[in-house]
Amino acid sequence: MNTSPSSLPAAPAAVAGDAALAALLIPATPLTPRCSVAEAGERFLDPAHANLLSLPIVDAGRVLGCITRHELMLRVYMAPYGRELHGRRPVTTLMNAQPLSLSLATSIEAAGQLIGQRLRRPITEDFVLTGADGCYAGMGIVLDVLRALEIRVGQHAQELEHAYRRLKASQHRLVQSEKLATLGQLVAGLAHEINTPLGYVQNNLAMTRDLLPSADSLVQAGSAVLDAALGEDAAALESSLQQLSAARAAFDPAMFADLTALLDDTLHGVGQIADLVAHLKDFSRVDSAHAEAVDLHGLIDAALRIAGHLLKKNNVQVRCHYGQIPPLRCAPAQINQVLLNLIGNAAQAIDHDSGMVTIRTQTLGGYAMIAVQDNGRGIPPDVLPRIFEPFFTTKPVGQGTGLGLSICQQIVQSHGGRIAATSAPETGTRFVVALPLAGAAARSAP
Amino acid sequence: MTSAKPCVVLIDDEERILRSLALLLRSRYEVLASTDPVQVLQWVRSRPVHVVVSDQRMPAITGVALLRQIREHSPRSMRLLLTGYADLAAVEAAVNEGEIFRFLEKPWDALRLQDAIATAAQIAVADFADTPAAPAVAAPAAAAPVLVLDEDPLTATLVRSLLPSDCLVATAATVEAALARLEEQEFGVILAELRHSSDDVIGALKLLKQASPRTLSIACSPLRDGRLLIELINQGQVFRFLPKPLGRELLRRALLAALERHAELRSEPQRLRRHAVERPREVSLSGRVLDYLRRIRDQARLRA
Repeated sequence: MNTSPSSLPAAPAAVAGDAALAALLIPATPLTPRCSVAEAGERFLDPAHANLLSLPIVDAGRVLGCITRHELMLRVYMAPYGRELHGRRPVTTLMNAQPLSLSLATSIEAAGQLIGQRLRRPITEDFVLTGADGCYAGMGIVLDVLRALEIRVGQHAQELEHAYRRLKASQHRLVQSEKLATLGQLVAGLAHEINTPLGYVQNNLAMTRDLLPSADSLVQAGSAVLDAALGEDAAALESSLQQLSAARAAFDPAMFADLTALLDDTLHGVGQIADLVAHLKDFSRVDSAHAEAVDLHGLIDAALRIAGHLLKKNNVQVRCHYGQIPPLRCAPAQINQVLLNLIGNAAQAIDHDSGMVTIRTQTLGGYAMIAVQDNGRGIPPDVLPRIFEPFFTTKPVGQGTGLGLSICQQIVQSHGGRIAATSAPETGTRFVVALPLAGAAARSAP
Repeated sequence: MTSAKPCVVLIDDEERILRSLALLLRSRYEVLASTDPVQVLQWVRSRPVHVVVSDQRMPAITGVALLRQIREHSPRSMRLLLTGYADLAAVEAAVNEGEIFRFLEKPWDALRLQDAIATAAQIAVADFADTPAAPAVAAPAAAAPVLVLDEDPLTATLVRSLLPSDCLVATAATVEAALARLEEQEFGVILAELRHSSDDVIGALKLLKQASPRTLSIACSPLRDGRLLIELINQGQVFRFLPKPLGRELLRRALLAALERHAELRSEPQRLRRHAVERPREVSLSGRVLDYLRRIRDQARLRA
């Protein structure tokens, strides 16, 4: 049989339409109950019915049954005396009184299922199609259903492929926007961290500058007095003493006494800004493709410094217990992103005032293990298995893309490592990251 | 303990900021400084505090939340926010919840900070000298009219649907048309979309506050620009900022609060001084618009 869809216009039409059986309808003229078996045989020879395995017998719109080519062959044409025995009898004597009858509104998928359940093998008959009122509408061919199903499956596969591609693209965009969001948070935090010392440094310097002229005139007036005294010029001494007295009146000794403390603060502030800039430089180091052997603890310290504003905001104490970890070959900026994310999450998970984040490191079986533990609200057991899923978030809309941890997992896995979390509600959460000590080399084998 | 100098309270989680500011201010004010919000609330409850300067990001509480509490305890204290990073949420909250007098940024300009504190202190000293406000004056029979300046006519439709039917809601699509309406009569509230295809609405709002300080402005916009908003606080004393699309309930509450405040300002004109603004730096408005503003100012003075 020709299986190309073009030989059967009905099948593609079904796909384009509402995907119901209506599109496969063959408007075969039914037989009447008074029709004889011989007449029914002749009707099968009609080219309009060439594709049909069976013809319906209908009385006043009601389907009484179907007569199949197969039955006619076996019982009438091939059996001895079959024509004589059955030829003149009404067709109803040989019909199948319970043919498969489907409504026009049945979907192709449902029809495929029903056909599979109801029809006997080998397939010797087609099925009757009925309208909404249950009356005969026409016939449907089993093979057409199969073909339509095949096309629909292909179409679904294509839709899936499209959806997959769209999803992939939007995931990429979201990863970018997550990076931007992280960057935005970072900038906000850093701006705050830098502007605070900058505020008092600038102010202290301005105050010092304003104070210096009065100190300067006091010193000058003092030395003028000394000069006059040494020169033994009484008149000059008198006038320079007056100047000294005026200079002393304009001078604020209390302010001057505070100057040392002010300048100590200023030095401290400048040191803080220098620190931040140094850490920022470490942090934004361009990746030289896993080539670097880095001190993991340096990375953790940098991440803590950068996340400082988050921890400070929630008044969280940080404890670090570092083990012996040899330099690690990794992409430092990526590992930074993971650490920043875990520390940030830990800080956000804490909503009481005795918050504590503990970071432990150790080596274990060829891996560097980093554990980040908080004593925050914990993750409910039903949520825990989903935290690494892309787009999964429990934060309010607009506060997280739900990609942070999924990106962390990607990064860790691309390093040949693993990340896992354990959590107890109201007790806290612990994330453990394991990175192979051999670094990039270990992950060449997938 | 009593001092002739106005009292300025400083709060910041960085002690060095407090030391630095205290030294800057102590010659002119009695300065109380603390890193502890509880201590600050204690001071505000127990003695006249003329000015409070608060950091925004602090471990225990945000500056906006603290200033809101201070407003409840001591409404006459002038509130200033001094922040290291003006994130949009903080600025919006500063307008809508804190009703702050000035939004200042670190590192600060010493002169500008001193100016702002001096203005604030002067206002608060006058407020504290006034006899305590008379018990609530009966609200005026009808709400003052509301002017909507927006190229989108739907905004006015929404405003009309939220206000009682006897409240006049006038509309204007341009700054000039809005000022023409403002010249005709006093409006209690102007609701203005900041984004305009041709006009400088922001500049107009700033100058309008100078010309007609009693008219309260509610700014709305899909634009969410922290910097613009800071200027609108400092130079326009914007009463509320609402992001677009407008939420019915938020808008309704903002309109009612503004109308109520306007009624208070009518019955207690001395409270107007709390709406003093910084001189805007640059405004791009035509001479005609400026003429309108001059006339509006003259009339506002007559009405006062």
